[in-house]
Amino acid sequence: MKKLAVFGFLMGLILAPSAFAADNDVKIGVMAPVTGQWASEGQDMVNIVKLLAEEVNQAGGAGGHKIIIEVGDDGGNPKTAALAAQRLVTSGVVAVIGTYGSAVTEATQDIYDEDGVLQIATGSTSIRLTEKGLPLFFRTCPRDDDQGRVMAKHVQTMGFKNVALVHDNSSYAKGLAEEFKDLMNQAGIKVVYYDAITPGDRDYTTALTKIKTLTPEVIVFTGYYPEAAMLLRQKREMAWDVPIIGGDATNNLALVDIAGKEAAAGYYFISPPGPSDLTDDLSRAFMVEYQSRYKNLPSSVWSVMAGDAFKVLVEAIKNVKEPTAENIATYLHDGELKDFVGFTGPISFDRKGDRVGDVYRLYEVDKNGKFVLAP
Amino acid sequence: MEFFIQQLTIGLAVGGIYALIALGYTMVYGVLKLINFAHGDIFTLGAYLGFTTLISFGLNGRVGTGPAIAICLILVMGLSALAGHIMERAAYRPLRKSGRLSAVVSALGVSIFLQNAIMLIWGAKSLAYPADLLPQVLISIGGHSVPLIRVLVFISSIVVMVGLNIFINRTRTGMAIRASAIDQGAAKLMGIDVRHVVAIVFMIGPALGGLAGVMVGISYGQISFSMGQLYGLKAFTAAIIGGIGNIPGAMIGGILLGVVEAFGAAYVSAAWKDAITFFVLILILVVRPTGILPERVAEKL
Repeated sequence: MKKLAVFGFLMGLILAPSAFAADNDVKIGVMAPVTGQWASEGQDMVNIVKLLAEEVNQAGGAGGHKIIIEVGDDGGNPKTAALAAQRLVTSGVVAVIGTYGSAVTEATQDIYDEDGVLQIATGSTSIRLTEKGLPLFFRTCPRDDDQGRVMAKHVQTMGFKNVALVHDNSSYAKGLAEEFKDLMNQAGIKVVYYDAITPGDRDYTTALTKIKTLTPEVIVFTGYYPEAAMLLRQKREMAWDVPIIGGDATNNLALVDIAGKEAAAGYYFISPPGPSDLTDDLSRAFMVEYQSRYKNLPSSVWSVMAGDAFKVLVEAIKNVKEPTAENIATYLHDGELKDFVGFTGPISFDRKGDRVGDVYRLYEVDKNGKFVLAP
Repeated sequence: MEFFIQQLTIGLAVGGIYALIALGYTMVYGVLKLINFAHGDIFTLGAYLGFTTLISFGLNGRVGTGPAIAICLILVMGLSALAGHIMERAAYRPLRKSGRLSAVVSALGVSIFLQNAIMLIWGAKSLAYPADLLPQVLISIGGHSVPLIRVLVFISSIVVMVGLNIFINRTRTGMAIRASAIDQGAAKLMGIDVRHVVAIVFMIGPALGGLAGVMVGISYGQISFSMGQLYGLKAFTAAIIGGIGNIPGAMIGGILLGVVEAFGAAYVSAAWKDAITFFVLILILVVRPTGILPERVAEKL
């Protein structure tokens, strides 16, 4: 009898939201790694979306529709994510925001697509995800190939005529380096050195000494922050003052600790803006509110991308007749949503569901070891 | 020529560190015929202990950089020796009578244990020795400007190795170590306490490994809990190139490996550096299966 009571109670919990939801309400799922190795990312994602949803509902909802948020925990794990996706689909969501990690997102793409649920990924930069032709899939984060393009653009505008290109043989860094190299060739900038260093090594002076003999105007490094820091430090020990430009995997304050402030000063890297660098009024006001509610700022930009996904959805729901996944997708795809003002800059989507425009910005390390947006 | 000299100095400095670690492998092998796979992690432990004494305890700020580094090196060598001794008592001595394979598996276990213990104590993020610990200056050697740190690393590793050589060849304990390496049974009959000799070997090796760890920390800054894997593998290679079990062989092997790596990366390709290194290993093993200094292995330890 007791068991039956518990079962009944649980069934009640599961059915309650759908049973009592008014016809006019719109349910949006947030699939995020609330537990597991990326828990801090996932919790930030949920916090941001819930806070935004409260604001929208207090202001009378999106186009008269009340927004109900349904959270699914993917645990940062493709298997758990598939279960979370099934659960969100059965709970009757129109659209799902998330998730962090391309492999996790990929495990859920087909589930949402088959059941006609719109998905906006937030921290999934793998190129493959939008190349499948899924009509209901979007993302607010940039793609891995965008970064190479932005990097190349900055190298060009800074006026460098030849570059030394270094990667670390990881699939991410090598892919980025190859992308960048092609763009350099198209732009007519000479790549005088193209080689990999071994990650985890401590001494990169051999490579640096060789690069020095080729007299490049700039070194571009596409790997991660520990190696970037060693390159900076050893470059300084050699008393060589060539600039280095790195990718978004070097956006970590440990870089300055390892390299030392003097060696890190003047280092450039490309990265989406961090939450503390969103300086427009809209973002700043929201971050103040976020901080007063949850005590901290979101730890990275990827959770802010979830906030952007939510804002885009609300904008679409306001502007379509009937808030169905198809209608929202048509609205997002067909250029009706153009340069929508999000936290991370203007948002538009192309036919594939990728975000159009540059999310990446150029950062510089200043004399005090702080990361500042380069002018 | 300038390029060649620069690469040579880099190779010598890196090689000096490889040689210091390789000595730990080769001494243990010489006496016990055991490859101590945990040696790379003792090296990591040394780097972290150095970080704690030098930076966390603020030794650097209290007594000035020079004395602080000296005290730190002595402390770390002592603590690493202690760690080596505990490791020998806990993981190898109980297995002395069982087969060599059991001891090797035990060594792998110690390696995993140490690496994870370091991660739990100091954290999974890499730590950094301050970059301004030693002045970043260039000094001139025969018209070529070379970073001071590079020179210091090479000289100190040479000094330590010469000291070790004198210890092994000129002292009674050294003689006991040599005797135990030739024939443990006969050494016992001659009144040598082989257990004591093994204990000493397991303190000298880790002390040198710990020293190398601090040197890497000071000269390159960044230390991480998994750094012992790569250095351990390279030093093990160096010991084999030199002829494992042979102390001068480990020194020559280490320095040769460092120089080959530097030239491989400089004149062929940085991405192929490790491939070149191991190709050299294979080549030497094909031509001289016992390493560069195979003769009189037993007498030289």
